[in-house]
Amino acid sequence: MGVKRVVLIVVVGLGILTWAYSAGWVSGGVSQPIAFPHKTHLDLKLPCAGCHQRAEKGAVAGRPPTSLCMACHAGGDTKSAEIKKLRSYGEKGREIPWQRVWRLPSHVFFPHRPHVVVAKINCQSCHGPMETLTKPPATPLKTLDMNDCIACHESREKAVMAKATTAQAHPKAARSLLNDCNTCHR
Amino acid sequence: MALWGMVIDLDRCTGCQACVMACKAENNVPAVGQKEAERGRIISWMQVLTETDEEHHSEKMRFIPRPCLQCDDPPCTKVCPVYATYRNPEGIIAQIYNRCIGCRFCMAACPYNAKYFNWYTYQKEKPGQNPDVSVREKGVVEKCTFCHHRLQKARERAHAEKREIEPGEYNTACAQACPAQAIIFGDLADPGSEVSKLARSPRAFKLQEELGTKPKVIYLTEGEGGG
Repeated sequence: MGVKRVVLIVVVGLGILTWAYSAGWVSGGVSQPIAFPHKTHLDLKLPCAGCHQRAEKGAVAGRPPTSLCMACHAGGDTKSAEIKKLRSYGEKGREIPWQRVWRLPSHVFFPHRPHVVVAKINCQSCHGPMETLTKPPATPLKTLDMNDCIACHESREKAVMAKATTAQAHPKAARSLLNDCNTCHR
Repeated sequence: MALWGMVIDLDRCTGCQACVMACKAENNVPAVGQKEAERGRIISWMQVLTETDEEHHSEKMRFIPRPCLQCDDPPCTKVCPVYATYRNPEGIIAQIYNRCIGCRFCMAACPYNAKYFNWYTYQKEKPGQNPDVSVREKGVVEKCTFCHHRLQKARERAHAEKREIEPGEYNTACAQACPAQAIIFGDLADPGSEVSKLARSPRAFKLQEELGTKPKVIYLTEGEGGG
């Protein structure tokens, strides 16, 4: 009896875990091909957009192309296995198969460009303390929900409103579109 | 502030259904399958309605492409208990799928049958779909939103380049696809735009105007000898 019960519990438990995994409730996280340390690079005072160049140009920030890494890492001796890995990708002319960690739901329209270029929001305010990482994150450092978006949009709206009344612009226009559902939902 | 509207010239419409297909492809509108279709559950944000001439039966057919008419005084938004559908400041009747609870009050309220319900999970996210439009879940109402994802992108571009949206920068898929250029889309608030010039034409009429819904999709009747 005892053995049977234990077997049953194990089987049911495994079943539930498998189901939860496939339903996306439990996730093993993401592992990257190279153990890239953000801390080392940011300690050198490199700006985020220096590598994630598309953040200032388009909707998705993206990972940098291998050629950009090789611009610094091509020459000199190294003992680091990770840099050797990078060079082998670079010398073959292949892109590093980075895995995407941050993903917003498909019904959200979030372009990086206006947030980075116009609003000048710190990357860390959404991405968390990336500058402290010595290895790539398996999961996002911060879980965002709609309140995070709205809180910022509402405070921004107040600033725009204050400016608009002095400049005799359209205060109503600025207010409504910044916090209109249709601006981000799609 | 812009007021987005559309003019559909019935004199030019040949009933080719290019707008219908363009809309389906652009907005990831699902094919519901034969069984569901037989139960009247076809989802088609843009539909070409037909009307026979009362005087000359079976001689003449009128084609009326019908998207969501984006009423300025919409009956559907007034009955939504959760603010999932509302008139946005630029006149577009928004449909926020994540807010929708699927009560279908708006469908009952819409006099144009422009709203559709997802009775089942008709499709899942997969490659080949338009990534700018989310796939609707089971149990929510969906409808034409004047391809507002295109407005999002156009506005984002204009915003980053610190300028206003230029005329023609934002266009709907149906207007773009129409080979006869029967569908003209633009800003009704700008008196110089093509769409507002056409909207002032003596040929202009609105569907079921007597209801007081004030649609922002304006039709132009056929010329002399037509209709």
